[in-house]
Amino acid sequence: MSFLGNSKPLLLVYRNMPKQSLSDTVNIMLTPQFYSLKKETLPLKYAFQVKKIAPSLFDGLLENTEKYDYLVYREGEVWVFIAYNLKAINHFLVSKGIRSEQVGKIFFAQQALDKFTAPVLLGDKDALAAIDGSVVLIPQAALEEGSETLTFDERFTPKHGVVLQGAFNSFLSKKQAIALATIFTLFALAFFLEGRRYSEGSEVTKAEIEALLEEYPALQSQYTRKSIAEKYRAIDKNERKKRDRVKTLGNMIFKGVTVDTFKMDDKGFLVRFKCTDAKVAKHLKELSKKEGFSSVKTLTGNIVQIEGKL
Amino acid sequence: MIWKRYQNELIVVLALLLLIIALVYKNVQVSSSTESLALSKQEVREFKELVILKKRWLDKRTSKKLDKLQKLVPSSKLKWQKKGKKLTAGFHGLSSQELNKVITMILNLAVQIQMLEIRNDHGSYNVEFKCKW
Repeated sequence: MSFLGNSKPLLLVYRNMPKQSLSDTVNIMLTPQFYSLKKETLPLKYAFQVKKIAPSLFDGLLENTEKYDYLVYREGEVWVFIAYNLKAINHFLVSKGIRSEQVGKIFFAQQALDKFTAPVLLGDKDALAAIDGSVVLIPQAALEEGSETLTFDERFTPKHGVVLQGAFNSFLSKKQAIALATIFTLFALAFFLEGRRYSEGSEVTKAEIEALLEEYPALQSQYTRKSIAEKYRAIDKNERKKRDRVKTLGNMIFKGVTVDTFKMDDKGFLVRFKCTDAKVAKHLKELSKKEGFSSVKTLTGNIVQIEGKL
Repeated sequence: MIWKRYQNELIVVLALLLLIIALVYKNVQVSSSTESLALSKQEVREFKELVILKKRWLDKRTSKKLDKLQKLVPSSKLKWQKKGKKLTAGFHGLSSQELNKVITMILNLAVQIQMLEIRNDHGSYNVEFKCKW
């Protein structure tokens, strides 16, 4: 299968052509019956610039109610303008049994000007001939008797053609399709980039881990790390608890309170505070409860005993 | 040849498909990277914590730092016995200021307190302290 479209059979389309029964895709060449032609010498270099002024050239020549498309190309120093109505063309093709999906590319007879070295017969009455640089339709009666005629075939296929879009059967026009596709593609691109950024984000943290491993090679083994962490986390936790208890108990000493005895080991602690009177002892007891010590006793001689586990 | 009839729709559908693939790709990346990022961050956090723990509890200068305890009180009030990485110290007849200094220093040292005992003896304090590191 060729994607160039020029290897397909070329079918010449004219008004009184017989109804077709196609089994495969064809390229078609339209006679001047389906387009309007103008030639202008313009001081413009590029086709896209020329194409912009095409509608104004045909102003008043074409029906305003119809939508026309334009093909612009250069013939030597002259710009050739072809105005065509795709809707009407498609309508005609359908009436002749040619569905739009069977049409590869559309060409215009004018594009194959140099191939019309002799007339091409169209049915019984008309002929297609190049006269004064334009391909025109002439009656066969105007041809000289016994004059040479050409057989129309793929040799007439020009390089560039027009694609008959599915616009007549599809729900979206080409412009709408391109606009939507562009929007979707832009969003897709944004999502791809965002996804890529996320994947790179985790690589930064991985690099940080690698840098740490390089700095502390002794901790490269996960097993070593785990065992060190378990051991020292437990020590850290217990020792912090011991120091917190001592600090809390130290903060509970106020006027009239002195430490009588204090003992702390790995399992717990026991402290006895000597108070000057019962009022101070009561206040200390309340304070210790407030600090969260549950085992608080008042012993004889205004001594407050606090016991606790670690 | 039906595709040709609906080629505009086909273009849009393909672009939409691309969009969906990109969206799925982004979501997969987001969820996987969020997960792995959280794991990596946790790993980094744990690693740093481990380094801090190691520095604190395996500090080679701890022994020297402990020796400074001896300078807080006159030697007459002190019994000092250090063997390897263990210390047994006794402080006798400390004033309340001396007691505060000794206890504050003990609490600020990165040692494992095995025993800390304070006794008030008629206004002066006796301290027994055992630790390892």
